[in-house]
Formats: sequence, structure tokens, C-alpha cells
Amino acid sequence: MSQLLEIRDLVTELSDGEHWMRAVDGVSLDIHRGETFCLVGESGSGKSVTALSVMGLLPYARHRHPAGEVRLYDAAQAGMPLLGADDAVLSGVRGGRIGMIFQEPMTSLNPVMTIAEQLDEVLQLHRPELEAEARSERIRAVLEEVRIPDAASRMREYPHRLSGGQRQRVMMALALICAPARLIADEPTTALDVTVQAEILRLMRELQQRRGMGMLFITHDFGVVAKIADTVGVMRRGKLVECGPVAEVLRRPQHEYTQSLIAALPERLARLARGEARPQPLVEVRDLAVHFPVRRGLLRRVVDHFRAVDGVSLDVHPGEVLALVGESGCGKTTLGRALLRLIEPTAGTIALQGQDITHLSSNDMRPLRRRMQVVFQDPGSSLNPRLPIATTLIEPMRVHGIGAHDDERRARAAALLERVEMPPDSLWRYPHEFSGGQRQRLAIARALVLEPRFILCDEITSALDVSVQAGILKLLRRLVDEEGLGMLFITHNMGVVEYLSDRMAVMHAGKLVETGRTAEVLADPQHEYTRKLLAAVPRLDAMAA
Amino acid sequence: MTEQTVNLKPSRPWSAQVLGALLLRTTARLGLAWIAVLVLVAAFAPFLANSHPLLLVVDGETRFPAFAHLQAADYTWLAGLVLAVVAWRLRGPVFLRFAGWFAAVAVVGGLAWMTVSPPSLVIYEQYRELEAAGRVDSIVRAPIPYSAKDYLRDYGDTGIEAPLAGRDGRTHWFGTEDSGADVAARMIEATRIALGIGFIATGIALVIGTIIGGLMGYFAGVVDIIGMRLVEIFEAIPTLFLLLTFVAFFGRSIWMMMIIIGITSWSGYARYVRAEFLRLREQDFVQAAIASGLPLQSILFRHMLPNGVAPLLVAASFGVASAILAETTLSFLGLGLVDDPSWGQLLNQAVQSSTFNWWLAVFPGGAIFLTVFAYNLVGEALRDAVDPHTQRRGKRA
Repeated sequence: MSQLLEIRDLVTELSDGEHWMRAVDGVSLDIHRGETFCLVGESGSGKSVTALSVMGLLPYARHRHPAGEVRLYDAAQAGMPLLGADDAVLSGVRGGRIGMIFQEPMTSLNPVMTIAEQLDEVLQLHRPELEAEARSERIRAVLEEVRIPDAASRMREYPHRLSGGQRQRVMMALALICAPARLIADEPTTALDVTVQAEILRLMRELQQRRGMGMLFITHDFGVVAKIADTVGVMRRGKLVECGPVAEVLRRPQHEYTQSLIAALPERLARLARGEARPQPLVEVRDLAVHFPVRRGLLRRVVDHFRAVDGVSLDVHPGEVLALVGESGCGKTTLGRALLRLIEPTAGTIALQGQDITHLSSNDMRPLRRRMQVVFQDPGSSLNPRLPIATTLIEPMRVHGIGAHDDERRARAAALLERVEMPPDSLWRYPHEFSGGQRQRLAIARALVLEPRFILCDEITSALDVSVQAGILKLLRRLVDEEGLGMLFITHNMGVVEYLSDRMAVMHAGKLVETGRTAEVLADPQHEYTRKLLAAVPRLDAMAA
Repeated sequence: MTEQTVNLKPSRPWSAQVLGALLLRTTARLGLAWIAVLVLVAAFAPFLANSHPLLLVVDGETRFPAFAHLQAADYTWLAGLVLAVVAWRLRGPVFLRFAGWFAAVAVVGGLAWMTVSPPSLVIYEQYRELEAAGRVDSIVRAPIPYSAKDYLRDYGDTGIEAPLAGRDGRTHWFGTEDSGADVAARMIEATRIALGIGFIATGIALVIGTIIGGLMGYFAGVVDIIGMRLVEIFEAIPTLFLLLTFVAFFGRSIWMMMIIIGITSWSGYARYVRAEFLRLREQDFVQAAIASGLPLQSILFRHMLPNGVAPLLVAASFGVASAILAETTLSFLGLGLVDDPSWGQLLNQAVQSSTFNWWLAVFPGGAIFLTVFAYNLVGEALRDAVDPHTQRRGKRA
């Protein structure tokens, strides 16, 4: 029999101490041998809760299952129920018969245990009959299987010595070491760079086929779905709205929610006709370098410099979006912050509207800050949680002398909220009352309040769901087109680049490797790194038939 | 979290949320109730225990001796309580209201010191003598008809007496101490010292610690290195021995004690503020505030401090408790104030004479215990209330 795991009408309710909230509402699905079932949906749709319900990992006494059942099928036992099974049974299942991989590779490993110790612990629990020698042999084998280079010596290392991608490989080794027939992966590649993600996805696909595992793969990225799934289920508010073979669902989505999700993908958004950028550059950066000293030894001598940004030159014109693309750690955020003089540049010049601002003192800089504003990545920390939105918006206006009195400023703030499509009563609310997408809109309003000429957007949509992201991207493009702003948009998402930007610059290890018009670079990348980056991007359209 | 499903609750500022979460906890309510009782007792001390009658009609002439003998400190305490109620009812930012209250109390206190001049010669016995002479037509006394410094000289050599063992028709609920003063009256008077030393010493420490810690955290680098060395120097000074030394050289003064406790205990607060500011400096909203060109004082005090104040509040409520203990310790060692009452000083007398005087141990000791306990309860509850990770009502599932 090919069926490995059966979920029937699963209902999970979670409690915040007072109210019960239905997180999963009647989900049914089957996992078969050698098949990948992809659960896709936006945040809060109940995909992770479904996985945690199967594993019995939800917080004790804070969840309940009013209906539904989860059954495990294997040679020994056909249809063993998992819901409500006691801990002794479940701990034999977890890791032993169902492996699990979590999203965050940085925190899923215990930092004070070596990799071998962590793997050994799982083995000791599930295969108590094995000798130490045999266990160690098996650990080495599984690490080699997940392609940890030089596995025998890496075994004795601590997690902090490994990169994010390698840690995720160790996580896979942990999940696979007892050779479970089922694997649950909860957004295992979301925190990784695209090139690493591509490698991990390839590896997972390969391992799954070789071992004939059934896999439940949770993601929010349709590109990843296209790459790995056999069957796909689309979740919305706890319900499975559409379920079917991947080619069917992605090519001809039946449910309107699936259709709207796919239509909201940035590469699917309709592009507007754009005017030519004006010739006079707004921001000119020449040979900008930011080096961080590396200090060692007793006297904290500077032994070397870490070259975060190493000789970057770029221009941003009014009415234009320049996308800065690169993987994590390539220095794109540092470049952005140095450009705004939030970090002191080591060398090079920055000119704003023809005026050199590289060496202005912070007092001289202050009046100029009006002209260049910033929106940051994390919606959770981009607004001061202790101030109502009105104060956040009005204070910069007061400092820069915009508006004669507070009533006028408040009216301006209200008008601006309307512009970023927020209700005007948001003025009197606090940031915690808004969702991530709304907070990013408010952060954009905060940047616009000073009527800047240039806005830096640092990964502002990467923490958001696609439908929310689509709204914000449209808003940004409208602002740039209507007001002639110059924008530097830092991102790692190629779909966003394609939709939003006029020109793009690819950054790698502190240097710009390629700059050009977006359509040209995407169609015909010149530099080898750009080619590798573009090839790694999981795309919906590139799905194998 | 999709945009449509946001639950729009009525807005409440953070201070109101924390207060709400604090008041949900029974322990916090108990602690705050005890502190509130102490505050009321301290403010109304002259009307609770006083040898001067509240109302006296002698030879057909109506007098209010208790009011005539009110000191500047009495007026300041009363004004502080009234103004606190006013500030509580007013609207506006918590910090502004607190600053307004503090300024108003300082003004009233200053005015009181300049204008109020009670009779410098205080004769407690006169009313009892008048009464004995039969000249009193009508008299209203405080619930405890003895002042803290009324040593009952008219009764002869009274000295130490157990509770309710007084002769000559005197009733001392908590007994009398060495020199014959009523213990209950002295304890009531001493609540002022306990509360005052806790708040003022902690206030001084908070102000110094916040400024130094804030500068260290915001500027980092050299400022941080110098600041941390300063913190380490001050941490190396033992408060109690410094207090002993100062008492030996400069005599005994409650203000000096407050200042010394204050300037030796700011280092903990500075560490907290520094750590918070180091963390906050990298937060996006602070970077955005810098990028908006806001002035430094706004970045420090409007955008950073309110977000870093939570651990400070918790530490301060434990700090108040330890300041009270420091003063008590000093008084217990006999190095506290000379004539002014203090709980530690009463405690000291419990063991000084040849017999163990239990009432001098139980009542002041109980008051010290309850007060320190109350502040610790509030601090503990505050820690839970400001920490988003502890569940509401402190209940774990």
C-alpha cells in the first residue's frame, strides 16, 4: 500500500487563554510513498498548525481537536491514530517514523552540542540496539548523504561553524537519520538565499526519490511549489480551498483564491508604461567603500578590514527605481545605510542633487535628511511601538518646519494616510494594532511625510505575504511615477525586481558585478554570478511539464 | 496576518496596558494596597498620632492646636498626596504628569519651608495638664493621642512598657519604647522616612543611571568604555561602609543618607539602560528617526528611552526595597537619625535592654518586612506585566 499518512477532516483550535480560535478547519489530505504534497498559503492560513497537529507538537492544554483524525500507515500497523495519542507513542513516531525540518536553521540546532552529539541523541532514542561504533558510522553516512563536505571531520564541530545552508543540511540529517518513511518540512528554505535554496531543494527532491519517502512540504512560495511538489493544496483561513496535481492547480487554478494568489505574484502583475528617466542624477555614488575593522588579540589591534562595501558606484535618477539585488551578506544593506549617512563610509563620495554629502557633520546633515528617506525591512520594528501614529508622522514635520501649526500638520498626515491607502483613524492608533502590511504602509507614510526626493527601500516586502506585497509594490510604483521620486530598492526577490524596477544592479561580495536596464539584464545576463543567481530563482513558469 | 483580518481594538497607550496587566495580578494588588496604606498614613500622620488635640475648647475659647503645630513637612506631604490625585485625574503623557507633580510638590514644599512657622517651643504636656485642671470644655483627639516625640515627661519616669500595660489610664496599643514615647506614634511618623528614603534615593539613582547609561548605550565606543569603568568604580564602593564613614564625619542627616544611597546604587540602572540602548540603537525605527533628521534629545528621550524603560521600572521597585533596608540597617546599628523615629531604630531597642521586648521587634519588624515584601511583589508583577513572553494572569497552561 502506498499510503503513508492520512489526515481526515482535521480541526485544530488554539487558545490565547480566553478564546478558542479555529486555526485548522476540516483539512483532509493523504501522503503517498514517493510523493511530495505541498501545502501553500499565506501566513496565518494554518499550514504550520496542520503540521504541528500531526506531530503533536502544539502547546499543551492550549489546543484541542474537536474533530478529525490523523492515521499513520506502515508495515507493522495499518492506521495507527496519532491525534490524542500519548507522549510515549508520539515520541517513538517523532523522528523515528516521521522526520521534521523547521524553517529557521539558525535556531533549530542546539548551539552547545556538536553536530555528532545531536545526531547521536536521536539515534540512541530510536535505535537503542545500535553500538556506539555503528551509530557513529551511520552519522557519517547520513551527513555524507546530505552532502556536508568532509563529513568525518565536520561531525565534531559546533553549529556556529556552519553556514545557514549547511545547518539546514544538518537539520535534514537529523530528520533522516532514523530513515523515516515520512518527512514534514515547514518552510525549510525560506530563510536561505536563492542559490542555497536551489541546492537544498534539489537535494530534498533527490533524497526523497531515492528513499521513496512521502513528504509534506509547507511553503508560501509558488516558485518553490513548482519546483518540488507532486500534489499541491492551497490553504486559506484553515481550510483547504483547492487540492490537486501541481500542473493542474498552477496552470488552471479553479478556486478564485488560488487565482488571486497567483495573479498577485510580482512577475504576474501588469506593468505600466513608464516615462524615460530624466538625465540629471538625483543621487550619485562614486567608489563608495565601507570597511569594518577586524580586531584581534589583547590590545584589540586592527589586523584586517572586512570590506562590506568595496568600491561601489551607482546613480539614481528622479522618477526611476533602481533595484539592488544580492544574497544575504553581500553588503547591500550596508551600502544603503552608508548612502543615508547612517554608517560612516570609509572612502568614496555620495552626492545628493549635486551636493557632496560624504563629509557633512551630523548638524549640517540634519536639514538635508528631509530629501532622502528610508523604509526598512522588518514591519515589527519599523515604527516606534510607544508612540501613536500621529506623533510618529507629525514630529518630523515639526522639526523640519513643514506646516505652520500642528492642526495643519495633522491634516497633512491624514491626507498622506489616504495616499498610502490607510484609514484616517489610524492616526490615533499604536503600531501593535496593525498587521505587517499595514505597518509597512505606515512606514512609507512616515518616509513621505518630509516630501523626500529619494527613498531607500530595504527589503520592505520580504516579510509580507504575496497579496499584501502586490498592493505595496503597486503603491510604490505609483508614488515614483506620479511624484518623480528616485528610489533605491534593495531586494533579493527577482519577481519584485522585474515588476518594480527600471534598472537593476547586482551586488556580490561588496562589489557591483552588473548594472543595466532590468529587462536587458534579466534577458541576457553578462556576468557569471548574475546568471547563477537567475538560474537559482524558483519560477512558476519554468515548471517542468 | 492578512490585512483584512486585523482586529481593531480601541487604542491604549503602553503605560495603560502595563498598568492594566499589573492590576490583573493579585500579588501586585496586595503590594500596591500596602504601599497605598503607607502613603495615606504618611500623609495624614499628624492627624493619626498627635499629642496636640485636633480641636480644643478651653475656657470657652476654641483652638485647633494640631493644625497650629503642622510643620512644613506635613504641608508638603499633604500637598503631595492631593497633587498626586490631581495628576492622576489629568490627561496627558505619564512622564509629563509625573514631572508636573514633582515640580508642584517642590514649589509647595519650598513655599511651606519659607512661610509656615509653627511654635518653636512644643509643650505636649499642656493639654493633659489643662484637662487635669478641669478647664477643658470639649476636646477631640487624634486616634493615637501621643506624638512621636512626646516622651510623656509629665507621667514621671515611664520608660519601656509592653502593649496595653500603661498605667495612669494611658493606652499604648504597641507599647512604648526606651524613652517612653508611644511606639505606634513613632511607627506612623517613621513611614515618612521609609517612603521618602525609598523614593528619593531610588529617584537619584534612576536619574544618574539613565543619563550615564543612555549616553554609554547611544554613543558606544570610547564613551561606553569610560562609562563602564565609572560604573565599575561605583560598584566597588560598599554603600553601608560609605554611609558609616559619612555619618562618623558629618553627623546624621536623612538627606545625606538618601544622596549616598542614591549615588552608590545607580550603576545597576546604568547597566540596564546601556544594554537596552545598545539594542535599540540598531532598531529600524531609531534608524528611521535619525534618517528623518530628528534632534538628539528627541531620539534619546522620545524614541529610545520609553522603549527601554521596562527593565528599569522592575529594577527600581526592587531598588526602593533595598534603599529602605539600607536605612533600616543603619538605624538598627544605632547610626541612624538621633531623635527622629525610624523602624530600624525601634527594632534596635528590642534587643538593647536586658530583656527582649517583643513588641519592639514584632511591630516595626513586621512593618519593614511587609513594606519590602510589598515592593518586591510589585517588582515581580511588573516584570511579568512588561514581559510579553509571560502569559496573562501569570497562569501557565
